[in-house]
Amino acid sequence: MNWLAGTLGSSIGKKLMMALTGLGFCGFLAGHLAGNLTIYWGKNAFNSYAEHLHSLGPLITLAELGLLFFALIHILTGTTLFYQNLKARPFRYSVNKNAGGRTIGSRTMPYTGFILLSFIVLHLINFHFVDKTGTTIYQIVHGAFANPGYVAIYVFAMIVAAIHISHGFWSVFQTLGANHVKYMPFIKGVSIVFSLIVALGFGFLPVYLAYMV
Amino acid sequence: MQLDAKIPGGPLAGKWDRYRFELKLVSPANKRKFKIIVVGTGLAGGSASASLAELGYNVKTFCIQDSPRRAHSIAAQGGINAAKNYTNEGDSIWRLFYDTVKGGDFRAREANVYRLAQVSNNIIDQCVAQGIPFARDYGGLLANRSFGGSQVQRTFYARGQTGQQLLLGAYSALMRQVGAGKVEMFPRREMLDIVVINGQARGIVVRNLITGKIETHASDAVVLCTGGYGNVFFLSTNAMSSNVTAAFRAYKKGACFANPCFTQIHPTCIPVHGSYQSKLTLMSESLRNDGRVWVPKNPGDKRFPRQIPESERDYYLENKYPSFGNLVPRDVASRNSKEQCDMGKGVGETGLAVYLDFEDAIKRHGRDVIEKKYGNLFQMYEKITAQNPYETPMMIYPAVHYAMGGLWVDYNLMSSIDGLFVLGEANFSDHGANRLGASALMQGLADGYFVLPYTIGGYLAGTSLEKITAGHPAFRESVEIVNNSIEKLLSINGKRTVDDFHRQLGHIMWDYCGMSRNDEGLKKGRKLIQQLGEEFWENVLVPGSDKDFNQSLERAGRVADFLEFAELLIIDALARKESCGAHFNEAYQTKENEAMRDDKNFCHVSAWEFAGKNKEPVFHKEELKFENVELSQRSYK
Amino acid sequence: MTKTINLTLKIWRQKGPEAKGKLETYKANDIPTDMSFLEMIDVVNEKLTLEGKEPVAFDHDCREGICGMCGTVVNGRPHGSEKGTTLCQLHMRHFSDNDTIVIEPWRSRAFPIIKDLVVDRSALDKIIQAGGFISVNTGNAQDANAIPIPQETAELAMDAAACIGCGACVAACPNASAMLFLSAKVSQLALLPQGKPEAARRAVSMVREMDRLGFGNCSNETECEAECPKEISITNIARLNREFYKAGFFSSEK
Repeated sequence: MNWLAGTLGSSIGKKLMMALTGLGFCGFLAGHLAGNLTIYWGKNAFNSYAEHLHSLGPLITLAELGLLFFALIHILTGTTLFYQNLKARPFRYSVNKNAGGRTIGSRTMPYTGFILLSFIVLHLINFHFVDKTGTTIYQIVHGAFANPGYVAIYVFAMIVAAIHISHGFWSVFQTLGANHVKYMPFIKGVSIVFSLIVALGFGFLPVYLAYMV
Repeated sequence: MQLDAKIPGGPLAGKWDRYRFELKLVSPANKRKFKIIVVGTGLAGGSASASLAELGYNVKTFCIQDSPRRAHSIAAQGGINAAKNYTNEGDSIWRLFYDTVKGGDFRAREANVYRLAQVSNNIIDQCVAQGIPFARDYGGLLANRSFGGSQVQRTFYARGQTGQQLLLGAYSALMRQVGAGKVEMFPRREMLDIVVINGQARGIVVRNLITGKIETHASDAVVLCTGGYGNVFFLSTNAMSSNVTAAFRAYKKGACFANPCFTQIHPTCIPVHGSYQSKLTLMSESLRNDGRVWVPKNPGDKRFPRQIPESERDYYLENKYPSFGNLVPRDVASRNSKEQCDMGKGVGETGLAVYLDFEDAIKRHGRDVIEKKYGNLFQMYEKITAQNPYETPMMIYPAVHYAMGGLWVDYNLMSSIDGLFVLGEANFSDHGANRLGASALMQGLADGYFVLPYTIGGYLAGTSLEKITAGHPAFRESVEIVNNSIEKLLSINGKRTVDDFHRQLGHIMWDYCGMSRNDEGLKKGRKLIQQLGEEFWENVLVPGSDKDFNQSLERAGRVADFLEFAELLIIDALARKESCGAHFNEAYQTKENEAMRDDKNFCHVSAWEFAGKNKEPVFHKEELKFENVELSQRSYK
Repeated sequence: MTKTINLTLKIWRQKGPEAKGKLETYKANDIPTDMSFLEMIDVVNEKLTLEGKEPVAFDHDCREGICGMCGTVVNGRPHGSEKGTTLCQLHMRHFSDNDTIVIEPWRSRAFPIIKDLVVDRSALDKIIQAGGFISVNTGNAQDANAIPIPQETAELAMDAAACIGCGACVAACPNASAMLFLSAKVSQLALLPQGKPEAARRAVSMVREMDRLGFGNCSNETECEAECPKEISITNIARLNREFYKAGFFSSEK
């Protein structure tokens, strides 16, 4: 397995791990969002979606472990890269300008990443590691968003997620080697659209639940 | 000293083959016992270092830049010639040989040039195998284009960056050997002396340009690939660090300097536009494939070029030389530009420029085709001049470009010092009095890939070499000389900067020893140079210390050598009482103002031997025998 | 007559690799706008020399944009703000009267400063030594036209081969990564049939060497592509990635 460590441990290997786990999260987000949208059909639709999900039993545990595994790789690799990249330029420029390559997404990648990590911890405490006896998931969610502070945090986090994705999504393709002059503009377009969907799709939910139901 | 060119006998076409057979060999196991020093990493030095290391020799390679990839071969734009005849136009080794000898105005050695033409084909093969992305046609086969002085398309090219691509090929071969431990690479080193022991070149003294330390390196043979001396004119198309120092210090140690007055003035460069200018930029000769050269018919016509009607334009090259048209050799094209400007027909702010116009080519082929062929050159022109050559004609003027002269070498590429080999532009052997376009790359690579690896083996196998180390007293002596000269330069503390002297030297050279020369001017120039040389050693200001990265000190040493060398160049020009190729003495011209050779008295190489400071150099003559081509008045009409 | 401008320069001065450096302020007056950036520094240096001060050390050689020797960061931009331009080809007409120009050396752990604006880029040579070549000894080659190469492939290879090794990509990269430089060489040779036999070994050993030399990691910021004076595209990095995966997962390279 020496070759695997050698390949994945290289700078391109680390990129690959970031890309694959990142792509996994994009898929997860898409599924999560689809599920969450049931909330617009009312609390019963949402609760029954949750029940269906939980009835999957061991599969859901497996998925959770998978996500945890992906998260660990993404976080540990990302942190290593962040640290190594800082070290690669020990003395910074006194004037910093860019030539139009960097975007707000690429520039803030590590920082948005750390914010999202904190958000996920909070999110899991709010909705996952919570006593669910005698209540429905809808009530928990609705209850949480009665607090305007939470609404603000969630909306902010989703904007951060969108920024993270705006760079991450197209970056996955570049890293996997799928960059072709004919298709790259389209992929970059999808990247923006997907990050907007995430921002609006998830971000509007707390507002909807707090003020419109 | 008796110069023996060691040209093998027998028919021309079989000379090289037979000679290679006769050369003694060093067995593979013995090659690693020899240490060879290569100075310079351009096409010649890079290819020689790599090829020698591949054979098994231990090589130490030195370059002045921070990386061997930056040698000035990289700036060659247009292409490289070879006698492949892929275009089915009737090209052959013989035709390439003939064109080169004729282009050189019959002042090159037949045997050397023929060998060059023979190996030209191997070069293209080698370069393609190295992954050089030459231009190709739609069928995937190699494309060719035309260059001056030839009526066949035999020039291979990689956009306008052929030199870069060929150099990176040689560089990658060199890097492979560095990685394999067969070549030890010493970048940012300047060679300051060559060490000769028992009449044999046995090592060099270099300055580490970062630390200022003077280092000594011993070897069994030394190979100089240090390029040309065009910067003696200050303004030239050469890189800033191109200099004569290595060659000149070898000259001072006994290597003869041959034909220094043959300095090529390239016809298509961006004109000078200010007194602060530090260098001139070449526009590739390949542009003359599609560009048409013209000036207004009426002197002083200051109209915008597009407003000058066709009937009031003088396409002087096409009119004067109908069969070669815009593709006459460089010396002819340059002299004609000067002639037009002297008649007051020059254009631009200074009146020292002619037009190179692509209007017709764009009309004929479309802008896209022209852009694909010359896009990067047009872009470069626009960056420098802020004018768009797709819309207004380019303005061009001749500039110093290439040194046909150089250290004298025999058929083995060995100088008059045993064990000192000289390759590429640094030697004199193949281009005569004028080099054809796309032939410099060919010669550099021929010398390094396909000539030296054989001939150096013959030398090493047939010579007894005493065991020496860098501790030998001769090295100590050299180091002392080098140190003294550096100390002297730093101690003068005068009032004028090094560049100031260099610029003035350049003006003198250009005014009195430029495109057109006369005895009176040459004599005056010589006197001015002597005066300037004296002033230099009393009044130069070199800041900083010798124990440090000191670019002023580096330049000071080079300019000091240029000042002495300039005099040698003028001495050579004065001695050659004829006009040939790049050397045009006004006293010797035909009625139509073409160069007039004197084959009876000057069909020879002038090789100069150093006789001591402030003494006239000793003249040696190598007669040139033409057994296979007929000496004729060069005609491109 | 050409226009002239007056400038304030802030130039990084540093005596040696270990010395502490700082920005020093100089005046450059009456600079003709036809002048190149390096000629402007020449003028400043002539003045400094005559004032008995040490001139600014800076690397430069061909001054026609091909040798890759020159390069400093000008107002935060490697080779200045003109697209597809090396510093030596940058002309003063792109600056205005009374501008302040900050000139700094390339900054990267892999490029230690030698003096003032001069850095040591030998790391780039080391990357090439690790595999940026085709192993063909002199004399081994077959006829040049024996293998046809589609024009499009040759052109793509040429696009990548145009790299001048100046290091601007490293200087521009927020992570000081050399991926664009490395990918240009890997790409050129991977595209051509002659380079295929060694493609796997080349990709793996060159990437290893780059990592070892202390360059940062690519994070697809694409600043390199935007600053490259030869406008080399990041599609080459994508191709390098493919080559690296092929080598890492599907060849016997370790």
